[in-house]
Amino acid sequence: MPFDAHTPVRKKEKITVQYLIDHLQDSIKLEVTVCAGGSACFKRDITEADLHRPGLALTGYTDLFTWQRLQILGNSECQYLSSLSSEDQKTAFKRLTTFEIPAIFLTHGNDLHNELLKIAEQANIPVISTPVETIKFMYLVRDFLEDQFALQTIVHGAMVDVYGIGLLIAGKAGIGKSEIALDLVERGHRLVADDVITLTKKSNVLMAAATEMNRHFMEVRGLGIIDIMSMFGIRAIRYQKRLEVLVDLFLWDEHTEVDRTGLEKLTTGIMDVQIPTVKLPITPGKNITVIAEVIAMNHLLNHYGYDSAKAFQERLKTRIAQKSRKGDTSPRRIIDYFEGDFE
Amino acid sequence: MIRKKVIVKNPEGIHARPASALVKLASSFNSDFYIYSHGYKINGKSILGVLTLAAECGAELELECSGEDEKIALQRIVELFERNFTDTTDK
Repeated sequence: MPFDAHTPVRKKEKITVQYLIDHLQDSIKLEVTVCAGGSACFKRDITEADLHRPGLALTGYTDLFTWQRLQILGNSECQYLSSLSSEDQKTAFKRLTTFEIPAIFLTHGNDLHNELLKIAEQANIPVISTPVETIKFMYLVRDFLEDQFALQTIVHGAMVDVYGIGLLIAGKAGIGKSEIALDLVERGHRLVADDVITLTKKSNVLMAAATEMNRHFMEVRGLGIIDIMSMFGIRAIRYQKRLEVLVDLFLWDEHTEVDRTGLEKLTTGIMDVQIPTVKLPITPGKNITVIAEVIAMNHLLNHYGYDSAKAFQERLKTRIAQKSRKGDTSPRRIIDYFEGDFE
Repeated sequence: MIRKKVIVKNPEGIHARPASALVKLASSFNSDFYIYSHGYKINGKSILGVLTLAAECGAELELECSGEDEKIALQRIVELFERNFTDTTDK
């Protein structure tokens, strides 16, 4: 295991409602309007990525009401409210506002009676409306919040995008991770981060990125710190890449056993995500850069449904079966008869 | 494996020179050396790692050494923090 156990940290513990509104407008390009509690937007914090539709709470059952979450009032909640008399509407709505709800979103162009908005204003709960359909809106907001509250950890290694495959080169200090990354960049691959890599977990995928400090800098022993973007240009870097293969470098000695067929598939669990792992022994004269490219291409081949090791094993099985059937036991040349120097 | 908390005391924080002194000292020992900050674990033998911390004056860091020479390594590193990353030869 190249990394010790990591205790993941939440990327953020909380964000304000205003922060969410700003990002919904600017990054996700959603139309949202604050109808009530505008000043409370800066004070109310969101601490959970989950959303809640408070149908039962409106009807009176508040025992397991998850008030800490953002509350979404869609068509059914709003139609339920409007089916009540105006006094009953207030009573139902007040069941929500007695809790310290971060914010209430009115989706699908629904609106609330002015009396109800006043109640929210008094309780300092922001009410925000949007014309976006409920399910679509909930999906977009949840996706954004999941990213904000995602689990993160920092690992030591070099992260490079090789032919579109995110390789994390790990190994002990001084084994030459940065040098391999530099060599890969020189061959036209793209550096994500060197030495300090943040891994963010989002829906069972680990995204690797640099930190704001070390982005696209690299330390080469004896040279010091170099700037990859200034030196190799924009083509040599990228902000983030999904971690797809872990390449674990170690100094080879006679006692370590390595897989010679490629039939054993190793994985490493990082934040409970299983990452395919290649344990790569380093010996003098070995071109690790080329091997890194081959690892990436092999991963691509596997992804497209071709497993070289398995294909070879199949061929072997057929040949052994043939031998026992026909008694033809000596090794055979690839083509039985070459017609001169043709392919 | 031993751990100790330290506080950065020099006014400029851990900028390039202190970081270089820290990494140089840590690399002279066989033990692994890690720095914990805000829940993240940083390799203390990597210059970019230490610089990424951008530790300011007053920042609290937890140091961890593990290996056969962990005691002397941690002691020397804590001493380096205490004398604000100045060289012993300066005295």
